[in-house]
Amino acid sequence: MKRAMIVGLSVVLLGFLGVSFSYGANTIKVGFVDTYSGPASVYCFDVVDGFKMAIDAINAKGGVLGKKIEYTTRDEKFNPATGLAMAKELVMREEVDILAGTINSATTLAVSDFAKKEKIPFLCTFAKSEKITGEMGHRYVFGVAENTRMIGKATAFAVAKKPYKKFWVAGEDYEYGHAVGMASWRYIKAMKPDAELLGQTWWKVGEADLAPYITPIVQAKPDMLYMATGGVGNLNFMKLAKAMNLMKEMACFLHTSIELSNLQALGKEGPEGIMGTVNYLFYYPETPENKAFVAEFRKMYNRPPKVGALYGYAAAQLIAKAYQKAGKIDKEKFITAMEGLTVDSPVGKLEMRKCDHQLMLPMFYGVTQKSPQYPDFLIAGDIMTIAGKDYLPTCDEIMKVRQK
Amino acid sequence: MVKRKTTVILLLVAAVLVFLPLGVPRFYTYITALIVTMGLLSTSLNFALGYGGIYQLHHGVFYGTGAYATAVMITKLGYNPWLAYIAGPLVAAALSLVMGIICIRLSKLYFGMLQISLGSLVWAIVFRWYSFTGGDDGIHGIPAPSMIGSSKGAYYFTIIVAGLAMFLMYRILHSPFGSTLQGIRDNAVRSQAIGVNVRRHQLAALVMAGFFAGVAGVLFVVVDNSVFPDLLFWTLSLEITIMALLGGWFTFLGPMLGAAMIVLLRTFVSTVTEYWTFAMGILLMLVILFLPEGVLGKVFEIWKSRASAEDRG
Amino acid sequence: MSLDFLAYFYSPGVVCQILVGLSRTVILFIVASGLSLILGVLRIPNIAHGSLYMIGAFMAYTVSRVVGGGITGYWMAIILAPLGVALVSFIVERGIFSRLYEREHIMLFLLTFSFSLVFGDLVKMVWGADYRSVPMPTSFQGSIPIFGLPFPIYNFFLLLMGPIVAVLLWLIVNKTKMGKISRAAAVDREMVGAVGINVSLVFCIVFVIGCFLAGLGGALVAPIVNVVLGMDHTLIMECFLIVIIGGLGNIWGALLGSLIFGLTQSLGILIWPQFGIVFPYAAVIVVLSFRPTGLLRSTW
Repeated sequence: MKRAMIVGLSVVLLGFLGVSFSYGANTIKVGFVDTYSGPASVYCFDVVDGFKMAIDAINAKGGVLGKKIEYTTRDEKFNPATGLAMAKELVMREEVDILAGTINSATTLAVSDFAKKEKIPFLCTFAKSEKITGEMGHRYVFGVAENTRMIGKATAFAVAKKPYKKFWVAGEDYEYGHAVGMASWRYIKAMKPDAELLGQTWWKVGEADLAPYITPIVQAKPDMLYMATGGVGNLNFMKLAKAMNLMKEMACFLHTSIELSNLQALGKEGPEGIMGTVNYLFYYPETPENKAFVAEFRKMYNRPPKVGALYGYAAAQLIAKAYQKAGKIDKEKFITAMEGLTVDSPVGKLEMRKCDHQLMLPMFYGVTQKSPQYPDFLIAGDIMTIAGKDYLPTCDEIMKVRQK
Repeated sequence: MVKRKTTVILLLVAAVLVFLPLGVPRFYTYITALIVTMGLLSTSLNFALGYGGIYQLHHGVFYGTGAYATAVMITKLGYNPWLAYIAGPLVAAALSLVMGIICIRLSKLYFGMLQISLGSLVWAIVFRWYSFTGGDDGIHGIPAPSMIGSSKGAYYFTIIVAGLAMFLMYRILHSPFGSTLQGIRDNAVRSQAIGVNVRRHQLAALVMAGFFAGVAGVLFVVVDNSVFPDLLFWTLSLEITIMALLGGWFTFLGPMLGAAMIVLLRTFVSTVTEYWTFAMGILLMLVILFLPEGVLGKVFEIWKSRASAEDRG
Repeated sequence: MSLDFLAYFYSPGVVCQILVGLSRTVILFIVASGLSLILGVLRIPNIAHGSLYMIGAFMAYTVSRVVGGGITGYWMAIILAPLGVALVSFIVERGIFSRLYEREHIMLFLLTFSFSLVFGDLVKMVWGADYRSVPMPTSFQGSIPIFGLPFPIYNFFLLLMGPIVAVLLWLIVNKTKMGKISRAAAVDREMVGAVGINVSLVFCIVFVIGCFLAGLGGALVAPIVNVVLGMDHTLIMECFLIVIIGGLGNIWGALLGSLIFGLTQSLGILIWPQFGIVFPYAAVIVVLSFRPTGLLRSTW
């Protein structure tokens, strides 16, 4: 028994030491904290897949400043506590050069706070809370994905000409839900002064049984319902909308309703007639850059890219080009080089805005509909492109919210 | 004999703890602080469960309440952090008293289930009160006084406070109160017959357990600078119970050892595979089937049998 | 908090909300009755019951994928998924549980907890972490208007299934020989064993039936929710509380408890949407304060 105890203790000690040693110091290490289990993971895998595709090409050409870019991932399980712990482990034990992630806005804010304390650059590759580059923005955080302020403004843009007067906002009770719902309402009201908010409904994140919440909304008869859900919530809503034929009762608007992850999950059962916005569609625009991107992604992963792939790809381009411009592996120089940097992407040239560290992505608006070309899922129809500079909040707006 | 061996090992561990931050990367300091916090928490659970025989199935709610009370006081109400650190455990103890009064009439599984439902109510309220508690997002970036704001500062604060708390719990459990408590655990009817107020004793034990759980909650806020609703969810309560069981819930230091094993395993297994929950489930199964007295319990058993074998010559 | 609900009282909104609450009740009842059965007869608080519910939903997904959507696929899923879950539970019961009936409750409780951890990750290993959507057969799609408000047809179907399952369960427990034996074993297993009946076999059958019900609940709910990891966590706690307030081992108690849970939640949402989910827990506390052993007689 004593021998067994000694063996056991040695194993633990070896484990302690053994796992602590990782890659060599001759690489640029990017640490991804994201959700790789549970429903949200379907978005996040695309991010690292897009990232990997980009760095494979970069590394094949010799890497950046003679070093290869490497990445490692940690699963936050869509839980801010776990995500923060993973970020701490990546920085304190793995000693990554750059942090990236996550899909959960609350985790992102917590990690952003941590990155500020540690003075390490953090690229937000999916979460959309406007606080990330807005109120809580700082030198060390960069927004590669769109944020809720942008989404809100794009929504208002899209419905500006429509005759809706009475609105209802409903969604999931968390950072992203509140942010996207309220931002959309704020900008709609700014563009349509006589618009009226009849009410708001918030349910817990991931709530599957939405019928008790939606029924009272139908009774209130708004012209348009803005859905402030994310992840699984999107699917739950879209399924219920189809079951209740909600589109007949009121206009429904949901950010990412036209995104492939959602539509693919719903399959042929998806609801037609739901309006939505998204930053990437693999079938639009049909430019040479987009087609090449889609072809390469399909070859590597045997599936068409979703919006996450764009974020991951753009993040890789930004990292490589910024280090190149900085001239050395230095965190502060890297950040300075990132500001104002422009990179190529499947949707055109993208600029990392200096004043708030937000990437200026274009937004696509569309309505879900069936398509003969893609029998397995719905696609977006009546597509409208909104350029980044047209719908990003101005630098002045951002500076004002940061002052508060 | 057992006691001497234990003291020696304890002194060694204490020495390691004091000098740890000077030698190892910051990450290990952080992990050790977390282990000590969880160890304190599972020891406080064992106060009620192992020593009191009470089916404390949702102990985590006191931990979470202590943490949230502290967090809310600092961030939303603007209290001085030191004040919040003292008030947090008091709030947890108060909740423990209220819940205890409601649940104490029942026994065994019913007590546990009522505690779970009351605890779930607390969780549901915290989870849905978005404007006050941050709801699903939790509260993060909670500032700590500069003295303990750094990694090292938080670490030393944690081991000093936890050490004090453990010492206090040890003294209480080895006092007449503690003996009475264990007597109630072993035979409540007989204790009642000799004039012990069973209810009052159990209630006092619950309040103390809740208080120390609240202390662990404060330490979590200091080490992690955030709170999340998961701290109040029933799965955490069961995890703490696993720690106590794994370490040995008829010993004082067992839960601390169990906490160390679980936190270390979780950290390192997670870097290798994403199926940590599976591993923990299997581990728990093995412990229940083959090692119900826990690791430390088994160790003591062996030492004792060795000692008595030596005595017999 | 909106006090407008007072004006609502006889409105279509409330009727619809009650119906929606009742369809949730049906699912809760099916799963909780299984839990109650196992708790009453075997005295095992089975936390893994929630995981079996989840496995039932995932199996329904797989069956409908293999057989194809549409009405046959659906019915096959409803029948095969619970059978699959029953098989899993049979293996677990014979392999591990049957050896441990003599242990203290808290150990059994923790053992079932360990199973829920293992099953949770097993589901992840087998089915992966993605969204799963079980297609709704066309005959169930759409909604019918109740006082002018759309009420999904599938929820209506659930409202029919509920009483059917309840009646079938009642018949099995009260009218079959096996049912009578298991009720006797719940009260006094030693006596039943002394009379020469194979108690171990009885326990096995009851356990498997209980788990079948969990799987059935999961399969029935699959088309209207998303089949995801983690769907077991809140459900199992709700079912436990339902069983406690209904009376341990009492099937009608499980029905009563599910009614209380389903209705307080849906009406709670109408009254105070933000804290809708708090109402059922509050109801549980009220019930337990007045009737600590549950509303109806328990078998313990």
